[in-house]
Amino acid sequence: MPSRIPLPPRLAATIVAACSTIVLLAACGRQGDRHARDAQERRIVSVSKQINEFIFAIGADDDLVAVDLTSIYPPEIRKLPTVGYHRALSAEGIVSMKPTVFLTDGNVGPDAVLDQLKKVGIPITVMDPGSTVDSAQMLLTHLGEFFHREQAADSVLAQWKAGMTQLWADTANWAGESRPRVMIIHFGQIANNYLAIKSGSIPDRMIHWAGGQNAIDSVGGMLRLTPELIARAAPDIIIATDVGFDRFGSAEKFATLPGVALTPAGRNKRIYRINEQKIMYYGPRTPAAVRELHAMIHP
Amino acid sequence: MADVDRVSYRVGETVILDDVTVSFAPNRFNVILGPNGAGKSTLLKIATGLLEPTSGTVCYGDRRVGDYSAPALARKRAVLSQRVELAFPLDVEDVVLMGRYPHYGRTPSRRDREIVSRSLELVGMTAKRGQQYPTLSGGEQQKVQLARVLAQIWNYDEPREPKYLFLDEPTTSLDVHYQLHLLDVARGLLDYDCTVIAILHDITMALQYGDVFFLMENGRVAHEAHDAAGIPVELVERVFQVRASRVTDPADGQGLWRFSL
Amino acid sequence: MLRRLSYGQSYILLGIILAAALVASAGIGAFTFSPERMFRYLGEGLGWIPSVAADDLGRNVFLKLRLPRVLVAGLTGAVLGVSGTLMQGLFRNPIVEPGLVGTSAGAAFGAAIIFVFGESTALSFATPLGSLAVPVAAFVVSFAATMIVYRLSTSFGKVNVFTLLLAGIAINAVCAAGTGFLSYVARDPQARNITFWNLGTFTTADWRGVELIGLFFLICFVWSLRYGKSLNALMLGESEAASLGVNPERLILQLIIVNTIMVAVATAMVGVIAFVGLVIPHVMRMLKSADYNFLLPASALFGAITMEVIDIAARVIIPPAELPIGIITAVIGAPVFLWILLRQTRSGSVGFYG
Repeated sequence: MPSRIPLPPRLAATIVAACSTIVLLAACGRQGDRHARDAQERRIVSVSKQINEFIFAIGADDDLVAVDLTSIYPPEIRKLPTVGYHRALSAEGIVSMKPTVFLTDGNVGPDAVLDQLKKVGIPITVMDPGSTVDSAQMLLTHLGEFFHREQAADSVLAQWKAGMTQLWADTANWAGESRPRVMIIHFGQIANNYLAIKSGSIPDRMIHWAGGQNAIDSVGGMLRLTPELIARAAPDIIIATDVGFDRFGSAEKFATLPGVALTPAGRNKRIYRINEQKIMYYGPRTPAAVRELHAMIHP
Repeated sequence: MADVDRVSYRVGETVILDDVTVSFAPNRFNVILGPNGAGKSTLLKIATGLLEPTSGTVCYGDRRVGDYSAPALARKRAVLSQRVELAFPLDVEDVVLMGRYPHYGRTPSRRDREIVSRSLELVGMTAKRGQQYPTLSGGEQQKVQLARVLAQIWNYDEPREPKYLFLDEPTTSLDVHYQLHLLDVARGLLDYDCTVIAILHDITMALQYGDVFFLMENGRVAHEAHDAAGIPVELVERVFQVRASRVTDPADGQGLWRFSL
Repeated sequence: MLRRLSYGQSYILLGIILAAALVASAGIGAFTFSPERMFRYLGEGLGWIPSVAADDLGRNVFLKLRLPRVLVAGLTGAVLGVSGTLMQGLFRNPIVEPGLVGTSAGAAFGAAIIFVFGESTALSFATPLGSLAVPVAAFVVSFAATMIVYRLSTSFGKVNVFTLLLAGIAINAVCAAGTGFLSYVARDPQARNITFWNLGTFTTADWRGVELIGLFFLICFVWSLRYGKSLNALMLGESEAASLGVNPERLILQLIIVNTIMVAVATAMVGVIAFVGLVIPHVMRMLKSADYNFLLPASALFGAITMEVIDIAARVIIPPAELPIGIITAVIGAPVFLWILLRQTRSGSVGFYG
């Protein structure tokens, strides 16, 4: 299993390059390979929505030949073919795109797919976004180096950092205000049910910056919702991600979800919709996203 | 010679067979008679070796039934039951071939197939050998079963070995044509070193075809008779709870029974 | 049509169809290979002819991904076909699935345990096994489930078929509950693993899978051929079979063991695939004969053919992604199963297929 610990950029790039070369050598049994030599012809298959958003942000999308099903931002990305859902990939489908590199954040399934790609000789690059804004920004830098678009990356990064600085300033102001209880409700398509975001996760941090407090105390990823859970959490505000919200269509209808009507959020109809991709990971859109959240929390 | 020696069969507290000793007459048509619940079926099952008695032994010749291996026993004796449920679409030929299973390993020999043909001929089902079993009428199905059972104990060029054919009310629910045909075939086997031991529900049929009669009552053999005339009328009346009288057919002098309540 | 052929000729016909299905399945997918290319790759892979470096990718995909996958699919189909035949013969019941006695459900449960707990330190003993942990766990639980069902339904050495079926349903429910519970407590990605496992897939097939499934299938299949006569005799009823020299209790135990080994190994490698074991023997009976000496090899061949065709469908319906096999078998298998059921109830007393 590839390492999930983010490494210093130079070291990471060196290791990646070394591994790719070794794999290619092993596959061909010869020195050098026409794929690696042909630096012009890069065909990247990337199956992480965060990485793909960054790639488009730095203008490196020319090299992309295929993405995964959940990569839908920015809208132009939909023109690219997909190799399926990132946790249900098929090695053959990926290989048929003739990638020079398979790029991932490490979250792929089934587990055997990476092994199969290695067997066939496809180089794999894993870039872990980590769990902090800093590590996400480092990911952007890595991508800049990887795609030789360092300048574009630097410029996006600068903008992002400036946005974050501005955001911290505002957050400091907002800290004085009251902190309503906020619950973020996500819709899990695989298990077909609603989930609440727990403390410590990225959306939770954004809520905190936006001036709210997570109505769910427990730490972790996501929690399956039950009416009791919702009632006990008693959120003042509910923010639902797009897919889950759209299943009902409006705040009034969403309030009919069992347990929601009894909460302060349900009674006061303080139910809002936000695009999932803005809050599930850190990116250049984070400052705007946090402001959007703030507007919902303190209108 | 099939000998049942001091056989008892108990289920819990209930005694179904009580110390029964019989010697079935070799190369004869033995008939076990009696009302329902007298233990006829149990006795027959024990005699076939398919049921273990609580006490006592069963011997074929001088060998105990338990000493035979399952295939060897299958080659020695065959059982034809009342009705065999076969819901799968096997061909008639394949059903009869099953009778030869105890005789071959993986593949039937040419002789096995010949015996299948001869058995079908004997019961008159040759024309339908390629037909599917479930499409036959009840009587035809029973004829096929008889052919199978014949094939099972057939050994025509081995030294004359005694064989046993057990019939467990095989003619129930058959019309009279099939009943007679089946019993005719069974009788025909007596000339080939075969002992027939049968339970027949129709007393008239039984008396017409049987040579030796064992009358059972309450788990015991109440009477043994070596010809139809030798069965006491009072005993029949008591055992079957009927009024009985014997009549002689003027055409051939055969004895016939008439019953009433 | 098949009726007019002898058994041997039927096998040859099925074999030819299987060969065609194999070639088709090996050639179709995200990559398309012509038969000439495939044979060239085979030659290169075996070292008979020198490799063409320019075609490395195609050859690697064919030899390392496609070919093992096609073989695993065929072998799994054969396993399920033979298993269904054995179960239907054993229970004289047409609505019997290889998974009815807890085998498939147990295998899925065992796999789920490894998916959810395998990475935690509590189950570090699983890590020495590495990627073999899933198949081994699936096999262990599957075998345990089957033996529990068997023990529950045996008393004084006699097996009661009704109890066997009911106990099987109960153990299936327990295993399904266990798997459901695990997917409930699992973290999101693990839960998804379990879901996809329950649907069956050949995506992760590799040569080790071919060896494992192939080895156990061959052993169990050859072993099961000895029971053709006994299964036929059993069709007449237990006491008739007994008077023909068949021992029903021993037969049941031996066949359950053979069935469990085959199905557990296959399920461990590819997940749960339903309906195949149910439908294949029926089709063979309708096309030719209910004789188990015929059904056992025929179901193996036809099962393999069916699975190849289904795998092709799985690969071409939503390219380049793949549809889980279990979905296709359910979509096709359930209506076929209902049709068989309808025919059976309509024909009533006339017989099995009327």
